[in-house]
Amino acid sequence: MPASHGAASPRDTIPLGGAVATHCPYCALQCAQSLQPTPGGRVPLEVTGRDFPTNRGGLCQKGWTSAEVLRARDRITTPLIRTADGGFREAGWDEALTLVGGRVRDIQTEHGRDAIAVFGGGGLTNEKAYALGKFARVVLRTPYIDYNGRFCMSSAAAASNRSLGLDRGLGFPLADLGGADAVLVVGSNMAATMPPFVAHLAGVRERGGLIVTDPRVTATAKLTHDGKGMHLAPVPGTDLVVLLAIAHVLVAEGLTDTRYLAERTSGLEAVQRSVASWWPERAEAVCGIPAEDLRRAARILASASPAQGGRGAYVLTGRGLEQMSQGTDGVTAAINVALLLGLIGREGSGFGPVTGQGNGQGGREHGQKSDQLPGYRMITDPAARAHVAGVWGVDPDSLPGPGVPAVALLTKLGTSQGPRALLVHGSNVVVSAPNADRVREALGRLDLLVVCDMVPSETALMADVILPVTQWAEEDGTMTNLEGRIIRRRAAVKAPGEARSELWILQRLAAELGVERGFSDNPGEVFAELARASAGGKADYSGITYERLDAGEELFWPVPGAGHAGTPRVLLDRFPTPDGRATMIPVSHHDPADDVRPGAPLYLITGRVLQHYQSGAQTRRVDELNAAQPGPFVEMHPLLAERLGLAEGDIAALTTARAEGLAAVRLTEDIRPDTVFMPFHWSGVGSANRLTNDATDPISGMPEFKVTAVAIAPAPAAQEVLTS
Amino acid sequence: MNVVVIGHGMVGSRFVEDLIAQDPHAHVTVLGREDTQPYNRVLLSSVVAGVTDPALLTMSAARGERVRVRQGIWATEIDRTARTVTDSSGTVHRYDRLVLATGSQARIPDIHGIATDRGLMPGVTVLKDLSDATGIVKRISKARRAVVLGAGVLGMEVATGLAARGLSVTLVHHAARVMERQLGDAASRIATGSLHRLGVKVVTETSVAEAIDRRGVLQAVRLTDGTQVLTDMLIMCAGTIPETSLARRAGLPCERGVLVGEDCASPVDGNVFAIGDCAQPPEGGTGLVAQGWDQAARLVAAWTGRAVARRDAEDDLTNVVRVKASGLDLVTMGLSGKCDHGERDLRAVRISDPAIGRFVEVVVSHGLLVGATIVGDKACASELSAMYTRMLPVPSDPAHLIIRPLAGMTGGVAAKSPKDMDNADTVCNCNTVTKGRIVAAIDDGCTSVDEVARATRAGTGCGDCRAVVGELIQACAADAADSGDKVPALAGRGEG
Repeated sequence: MPASHGAASPRDTIPLGGAVATHCPYCALQCAQSLQPTPGGRVPLEVTGRDFPTNRGGLCQKGWTSAEVLRARDRITTPLIRTADGGFREAGWDEALTLVGGRVRDIQTEHGRDAIAVFGGGGLTNEKAYALGKFARVVLRTPYIDYNGRFCMSSAAAASNRSLGLDRGLGFPLADLGGADAVLVVGSNMAATMPPFVAHLAGVRERGGLIVTDPRVTATAKLTHDGKGMHLAPVPGTDLVVLLAIAHVLVAEGLTDTRYLAERTSGLEAVQRSVASWWPERAEAVCGIPAEDLRRAARILASASPAQGGRGAYVLTGRGLEQMSQGTDGVTAAINVALLLGLIGREGSGFGPVTGQGNGQGGREHGQKSDQLPGYRMITDPAARAHVAGVWGVDPDSLPGPGVPAVALLTKLGTSQGPRALLVHGSNVVVSAPNADRVREALGRLDLLVVCDMVPSETALMADVILPVTQWAEEDGTMTNLEGRIIRRRAAVKAPGEARSELWILQRLAAELGVERGFSDNPGEVFAELARASAGGKADYSGITYERLDAGEELFWPVPGAGHAGTPRVLLDRFPTPDGRATMIPVSHHDPADDVRPGAPLYLITGRVLQHYQSGAQTRRVDELNAAQPGPFVEMHPLLAERLGLAEGDIAALTTARAEGLAAVRLTEDIRPDTVFMPFHWSGVGSANRLTNDATDPISGMPEFKVTAVAIAPAPAAQEVLTS
Repeated sequence: MNVVVIGHGMVGSRFVEDLIAQDPHAHVTVLGREDTQPYNRVLLSSVVAGVTDPALLTMSAARGERVRVRQGIWATEIDRTARTVTDSSGTVHRYDRLVLATGSQARIPDIHGIATDRGLMPGVTVLKDLSDATGIVKRISKARRAVVLGAGVLGMEVATGLAARGLSVTLVHHAARVMERQLGDAASRIATGSLHRLGVKVVTETSVAEAIDRRGVLQAVRLTDGTQVLTDMLIMCAGTIPETSLARRAGLPCERGVLVGEDCASPVDGNVFAIGDCAQPPEGGTGLVAQGWDQAARLVAAWTGRAVARRDAEDDLTNVVRVKASGLDLVTMGLSGKCDHGERDLRAVRISDPAIGRFVEVVVSHGLLVGATIVGDKACASELSAMYTRMLPVPSDPAHLIIRPLAGMTGGVAAKSPKDMDNADTVCNCNTVTKGRIVAAIDDGCTSVDEVARATRAGTGCGDCRAVVGELIQACAADAADSGDKVPALAGRGEG
């Protein structure tokens, strides 16, 4: 691939010379980068793509421009303390940490330990995620910790654990996709969210086997055009029905892998029965996809499966399927399709969710989740508590029990029974959480809000204390990418001003709160402890060291020991379930919590654009990205716009049961006329998540971001509102 | 609460499953006449067509301590005063609430000679139960010809299914139009044409008068117009009759079906309910499983105190009729086949395109789709079904519902060739690089895709545009060659 330095190794080693080998700050593809410091330059380093098995030298515009964020004009370089007049004043670390420690102690004294809550992020390194979980359980001793990964991977994780006994994201190296005859992508738009991924689909496209399910004709859906596959455009909220119908066809037409099902699964009969009621003609009226297309999709997948002599098939899921109040069941249905075809735990075939956030995988393994301890252990498991408490040198009984998932946690804040203080790390919840106005109210009710951030994000601006932190090119650590591969993040430059790593901040805060030992500011030391804490857990990192990673070893967890070479492909021999088999679980479809009705007759769906990442706190600070995607918009079909009296560029007023929003109209034929799309990267009147529903999946706690009933009308005199 | 459910078919079993799942206090006894687990009756025609394995029709059913299923047992008497049901084994079941889900029977037309001492003449059958379907499948291997009586949905599915299996099929229908309740003249003609194309001979305005046997086995049928048709099978798809005998004996008011209100309860007994094919709700029974499942869901919701959306009888959105036949896409919903749209505030727009077997009509009222008929346009059919069942708003001109498929399936504007692109057009989406910037880089001396990538980042994301960049390099090189040799080039162009 172009633009990589000629000598760059495909492995993740420290290169000779001045350039530093690391990975992109953004999504879970974690594209490999070379950072060349440019002393005296406008930005402190130059970024180029680096050859690596995942990105093969490629970067998208976000990655290429990532150095800009290092010198964002409003980068926070010193602790900031809220003043009486509502502004902020600069402070030294001693003052800021003493203040935070003192207020935390006071609140604990008055309201108890449960009065302090922690909110983490899927962008934090493994080391930070681990230290944060430990800080909550050992120093604060609060059950209330959760993170924004709840909005990202919780449904996929819950379904994978429930059916397969393991959640390792893809469970196979990304490059394996290249050999398949068919790939089913349900609700992921990787061509826009992680473009270098697309190179891995070249083989399957050549063979006409790419099947993409999305209500929009996304960049990913367009990859199926010209005979390269099929695009299925379901009514929002009905992806699960598409999967049930595909499963029905596989069963009814005898296209399943009977030998695999007999040897490696249990529960087949219940699933067969449950899909008996989803014949394609019935599914058609629910999901809006012709019965014949559903049959054809099933047959393409079947003929690609090993049992039918194909080269292999994969089922991949994304947030479109998962961010639903039936998200866990949706992923379960995808797993059932993969099991019926005999794909999981087989080289050359597979199932996997496409992880979103940079460390969305590692972030969900090391204790940020309300019910988990490091190593993907359950906090309710006495053996897990004993092991982790042993590593931490504390009494197992001193560890708190499970807390509550993110939406429930945010809702509880500042209520009579809820936490009074919140520490936020690597998350911008007032933009990224659903029903965002209510989140803003909840934060407003707190006695203390402390936000660690590198820029004044919308959430940081509500804080009592903002603590400035390092970012990607300024720190060392590890990330676990969408493949379950552990990779090294390496510092290339010093952070400006007084910005510090969260590891240092947590160490100092622990000391303020009376815990002098057990928190290191050295990432290597923290990783070594993480590895010990994870030993024996599902996500076993115990055999991984910085030395092995720096020597260029490709390590996928589990790596249960120094002599272990890692596990690029999981589940090949058995499933880590009580009977060693994958569990097939019947699921059924229900309508969305906020369904279309008179008064709100259209569907609002949300997602990302290529140029921005999540809440936009980073990418909105890059001029080049802003020039390409300057602000919020609502995408709609010309037929819908015509009926509503809207034209390109007009301001539309969108009303849901929660809020009214305003956004400029963009016309496109690439969307169903019953559906509008808004990207969720912005705050203010155009913030998509002020409109979205905070109903959650009963198992995973995932909010129903992906389908909201909305009414739309032209906004009178809205131009002034937007520009004021 | 003790609930007795009579009938363990598609609707009865769904009701029990939902009730057990949602009401922790419900204890249910189910009586199922057929000695099988509940199965998907809708797919029996697919079994006959050979595209679905009968062993895989079994549907899920509630299990556990709170549900007792008695298979092969039927109710013989209901005592509404004592609130008991007596079953065929003599057992008496007490109930707090009783749900009738007895379904319907196949109507057996008055045809001379079909009845024998031991039931129907061999070769003559209805298609109502799994045993009917497996019986037909068994006979197909020895059969060359079949007559299907009745061109409703089931008859059309059976006829096309048998034709696809290589049988010579005659479809006999009493009315002038196939599916006359759903289709108007034009749509019916086009559907008939499609049936012919699929190898089905359609005979209308006639019926079967007599079954003629040879040694006790069907050999031919005589139609009411006197024609004789040789056949090995006669499959009667002449409609269904709601199973109401038990209800009638129990003094429950019945017309065509067991009369119930919008709450599915009998008007004379608030503890007795009827759902599915045996029921006659205010909007009338449609014989479609979607209506029965909707009733089951609403009844469970009402019993468990969850909000049930109020709706008018006219708002029944379950009446989507879909023919399952490979090669014949036929869907109707709501108002269809009626010619008297004028009296209401309706807009009806249609296209009729017999040459390719396509007919689409949409009926719109107050911005909502209230009816549609679609023959031979699968994308349109699926979009309109989804729109109708959800009451999604339609475009201001209903014609747009017909003249383009709605799911953005047009594939958008055809991609421009690199030479025809404007300088402002984006070539590399991953890095927002326009053609203009790429051409400028080439003008600045870049001669390879990699050099352009280094200069502009084009092609460094997903890599999909690298071919386009290559073409631009070639095009620029060709232009440069042209301009370097101006006179001949101009002369050459002049000739063109």
